[in-house]
Amino acid sequence: MIWLTWRQHRRQALFTVLGLAVLAAFIVPTGLSMRHAFTRLGLAGCVATGGPGCGANIDKFSSTYGSLVLVSVLLLVVPLMIGLFWGAPVVAREVEQGTHRMIWTQGISRRHWALVKCGLLGGAVAAFAIVYGLGMSWWYGPLGQVDVRQSRFTEVFFDMQGVTPVGYTLFAVALGVFAGTLLPKVLPAMALTLAGFVGARVAVALLARPHYMTPVADDQIIQSGSGTQGDLAGGWVLSKEIRQADGTFVTSGTIRCPAAGDGVPCSPDAALGLRPGAYNHQVFQPGDRFWTFQLIETGVFVALAALLIWFAIRRIRRIA
Amino acid sequence: MEYLLEADQLGKRYGGRWALRDCTVRLPAGRVAALVGPNGAGKSTLLHLAVGLLRPDAGGVRVFGAAPYENTTVLAEIGFVAQDTPVYRDFTADELVRMGGKVNRRWDATVAKARLAQLGIPPRTPVGKLSGGQRAQVALALALAKRPRLLLLDEPVASLDPLARREFLQSLMGSVAESGTTVLLSSHILADLERTCDFLVVLQAGRVQLSGAVDDIVAEHRQLVGPRHRGEPIDGVGAVVRARHTDRQSTLLVRTDGPLRDPSWTAHELTLEDLILAYLADRDAQANHEAWGVPA
Repeated sequence: MIWLTWRQHRRQALFTVLGLAVLAAFIVPTGLSMRHAFTRLGLAGCVATGGPGCGANIDKFSSTYGSLVLVSVLLLVVPLMIGLFWGAPVVAREVEQGTHRMIWTQGISRRHWALVKCGLLGGAVAAFAIVYGLGMSWWYGPLGQVDVRQSRFTEVFFDMQGVTPVGYTLFAVALGVFAGTLLPKVLPAMALTLAGFVGARVAVALLARPHYMTPVADDQIIQSGSGTQGDLAGGWVLSKEIRQADGTFVTSGTIRCPAAGDGVPCSPDAALGLRPGAYNHQVFQPGDRFWTFQLIETGVFVALAALLIWFAIRRIRRIA
Repeated sequence: MEYLLEADQLGKRYGGRWALRDCTVRLPAGRVAALVGPNGAGKSTLLHLAVGLLRPDAGGVRVFGAAPYENTTVLAEIGFVAQDTPVYRDFTADELVRMGGKVNRRWDATVAKARLAQLGIPPRTPVGKLSGGQRAQVALALALAKRPRLLLLDEPVASLDPLARREFLQSLMGSVAESGTTVLLSSHILADLERTCDFLVVLQAGRVQLSGAVDDIVAEHRQLVGPRHRGEPIDGVGAVVRARHTDRQSTLLVRTDGPLRDPSWTAHELTLEDLILAYLADRDAQANHEAWGVPA
């Protein structure tokens, strides 16, 4: 069975390894040069304590490497691609070509066949995903520290690094296998995988993830002058509001003169009619919860994957 | 008598439609049996039930005395070649033989290799590039390498040209004669069956119309020609399978249950093919007229 699985999927494995190599060819040089620039511009100190010239240096760094962030967003589809090309054909191609009637009538049970296949393929893609996810974390490190708006905790950036790609990849593959048991052709199974994956990811990211842990509220008095890096750094801001001193709501979606300034003087927007004592009210998940959230998110998708595989094996026993 | 395959009131339903219904068949050991019927008669369904791909919705099927669904003990002793002889097309014949060894506890790779060598199948060409006849031979070789007690073949020759068909059936007959394997092979090409099979199951619209040893079946059936028949019993006739009438004459295809003594009827022997067609043609027309909602 192990030999058979390897023989049937070695082409996918080859293409995946090639894909990883291409990705590495992009990530390793840019990652190294980013790190060099980060050290050369002394940004580590800027991020920690601030200091003269920091704003200019950070701008310089951002203008050089900020656009890479947009490129990296494309990599969000990597788990999906693996699900489409590894997961969907597992059952759908057998049924489409009728070979399920050949392989399922040899001397091993369908359950055995499905468990070995899913186990081996799951293990292989998990290994790929670990390399990919940790590589992306390493690469994204400097960018995430420099720009608070692109904190590694925010949507999209959270999703492409750390251990979450492992969860997403396993989920995508399991979804592909399951889709193949519902639709007996590869292409429709891939389409269903695509729709299901995007749907599940969006639903979890928007509806479930903000509530994994109770968010923290942070109030900062709006004042002229400058602040220092607050404990929002690296955090995931869920909502921002400006309120008057008595708590009346002024506006949302923005903050004024945050404590997380960088030494640049600032004055509150007069048009808002803020009275003294008005404050920024932000609800956020603190940055030190990053790995907890990574683990929870991964756990959710691994659990979904296990559930889908269980359903798939039930379905496989009814396909003839 | 030992029966390798027994179906009892077997039924399988897809949605609301019965693909197979009240199917009662017993296949004695050592026979080469033909499963005959038009497309959609339930032949594949019966074979899939027998090989344990499907679970019955009614009645039961036993192979070697056990229910075959999800039963690897039974599966180990069945050789099955599905319709269109599916094999992994990107595998070479050599790799397919190797694969068989990995997924079967009992596997005689030497048998398969000797067979394929004798047939001149190239070992290192992807089987997708072979001809349909060669691919069918590869599938058969894989099924035989399990050294099965029962060989089930679903339309193995349907897509082959007449020459490849004859070669396939000849090589099949050659190997089952040696090993004493029991064979159940479905087909709608009747001409081939008369030469190869000694047992017959006729399936029509999900029901068994006729089953038994070919010799018995041929011996039992007669075509009678005589005066216009109006349904009165004829001595020695068990059942009228098909009747055609003109104003003065009737031609009946009958199943006898004793000697025919009535001198007003002239009896003719029938070929197996005529007989099968008689069983199939009649019901076909009726079903079609019902489906179209017009009187027959």
